[in-house]
Amino acid sequence: MYLSELQLDHYRNYEQVDVHFSPDINVLIGENAQGKTNLLEAIYVLALARSHRTHNDRELIQWNSEFARITGIVQRKTGHTPLELIVSQKGKKAKVNHLEQAKLSQYIGQLNVVLFAPEDLNIVKGSPAVRRHFIDMEFGQMSAKYLYNISQYKSILKQRNQYLKQLQRRQAKDLIYLGVLSDQLAAYGAEVTIARREFLQQMEKWAQKLHQEITKERELLTFRYQSQIPDDQLALDTEGLYQQFQTLYETQQSREVEQGTTLVGPHRDDVTFLVNGKNVQSFGSQGQQRTTALSVKLAEIDLMKEQTGEYPVLLLDDVLSELDDLRQTHLLKTFQNKVQTFLTTTSLENVKKEIISAPRVFTVTNGTVAMVTTEVN
Amino acid sequence: MQYPEPIAKLIESYMKLPGIGNKTATRLAFYTIDMNEDDVTSFAKNLISAHRDLHYCSVCGNITEEDPCEICRDTTRSQDMILVVEQPKDVMSLERMNDYHGLYHVLHGVLSPIEGKGPDDINIANLIKRLQKTPAKEVIIATNATPEGEATAMYISRLIKPAGIKVTRLAHGLSVGSDIEYADEMTLLKAVEGRQEI
Repeated sequence: MYLSELQLDHYRNYEQVDVHFSPDINVLIGENAQGKTNLLEAIYVLALARSHRTHNDRELIQWNSEFARITGIVQRKTGHTPLELIVSQKGKKAKVNHLEQAKLSQYIGQLNVVLFAPEDLNIVKGSPAVRRHFIDMEFGQMSAKYLYNISQYKSILKQRNQYLKQLQRRQAKDLIYLGVLSDQLAAYGAEVTIARREFLQQMEKWAQKLHQEITKERELLTFRYQSQIPDDQLALDTEGLYQQFQTLYETQQSREVEQGTTLVGPHRDDVTFLVNGKNVQSFGSQGQQRTTALSVKLAEIDLMKEQTGEYPVLLLDDVLSELDDLRQTHLLKTFQNKVQTFLTTTSLENVKKEIISAPRVFTVTNGTVAMVTTEVN
Repeated sequence: MQYPEPIAKLIESYMKLPGIGNKTATRLAFYTIDMNEDDVTSFAKNLISAHRDLHYCSVCGNITEEDPCEICRDTTRSQDMILVVEQPKDVMSLERMNDYHGLYHVLHGVLSPIEGKGPDDINIANLIKRLQKTPAKEVIIATNATPEGEATAMYISRLIKPAGIKVTRLAHGLSVGSDIEYADEMTLLKAVEGRQEI
């Protein structure tokens, strides 16, 4: 699918804008603070009815305006669909094909996007908590069962930690109840671990393929799921894992009470990304880390294709400047003629022109967008 | 300008009720002023009587005017079945079903360390004492299908199962007369898991 037109009214620093995009590669050039990221954000908001940058929708409305409107036309294999999203002080209104949708959940999914922003580098460089959050969000979107299991797990974990604190301070003494909480945690923990392992295998398959394409087969990306359950035991079924966790909770009980917190379970797991067998977080170069983050995040493109049958729209915010020419070339070649791509950059110097066949180039200056008519080639 | 003291106090009282904030409380207070005197008097009486004349049944923990409650005194009910619920409201719902003829036990909450509710803070000890006095054949646990409800059910079952009492839990699944089309994914998943041979 691709976005053929976009109109903005009173959106952030845009008074009024009407742009027609190429189904292939669209380059947005502009100095800092001119509105490049705002334009990518607008496409993201049109797709998901929320921003990746803020929770406060009022920030999306231009200063001194009552409302912001984003409209666009999505082209799919089956035809075109006009989308409209109005953000006002009172809330959001979403229209598909000019018909207002009662629920935002009915609206979301009309336009699929995958966004890569500079902060996504944290998937590789950040703490294990960042990676757990990332996989929980990704897998939660793909499976309602996973979302249910992880949210049950988290709420039981909170109760158990609180109870362990009470045991630690001797405000409570009932170990039968602790046993009940351990069993519950073990049951959901086993489900979460199994699902993460399965989803990570799918994701690894796609990320690996992408990574090889971007690095011209020089680098092999692999994932390693790190859990307190030994690797050879991870292949167990739900029942087997459940028993493993139960045993761990039994053996760790006195330590857990002493420290007043849960020491065992998938809430302490992590994923390590390995390039040619080496941990990228500790031993990779900046470029390798960035490429890894890209491959992992952009694996979502293929996962979405598998699920919906169409490629989503790709938004790359300020990504190229930090990759070398070779990686830039292969990144863009990978998606060329398949995935509609929007990328922001401060100057075209950064982009090797010959690598992109006929990109549509737009200059962004202080809230205006102009198409550069002379093709760059 | 400030409200005269009687109305300010009334607003304050209304605000003590759950789900009622400043605005609603003010609206209710002004409405109360315009009500006729008889209604207001009986309203006030009802409030006091609900508080003074109701007790918790010393056997099952349900709300009652007399102790033990009507259900616990009813000898025509099956004495070897006890259905455990979280709230007195749940007893009312189950009684409306008009098909269960055993006894009840009201926990007044579920185990939740975060809300400061441990095993000693809900009505579990009474259930154990009750079972020691007159052992039931079956205990049906009807706590809600929340993680806390499940944990409470599991806890109770561990306490009483060793005594050889059969412990059962309500089924999960589709509600009667509903369309599969409108069921959420997790309900469907539970329904498939709990399928039965026909």
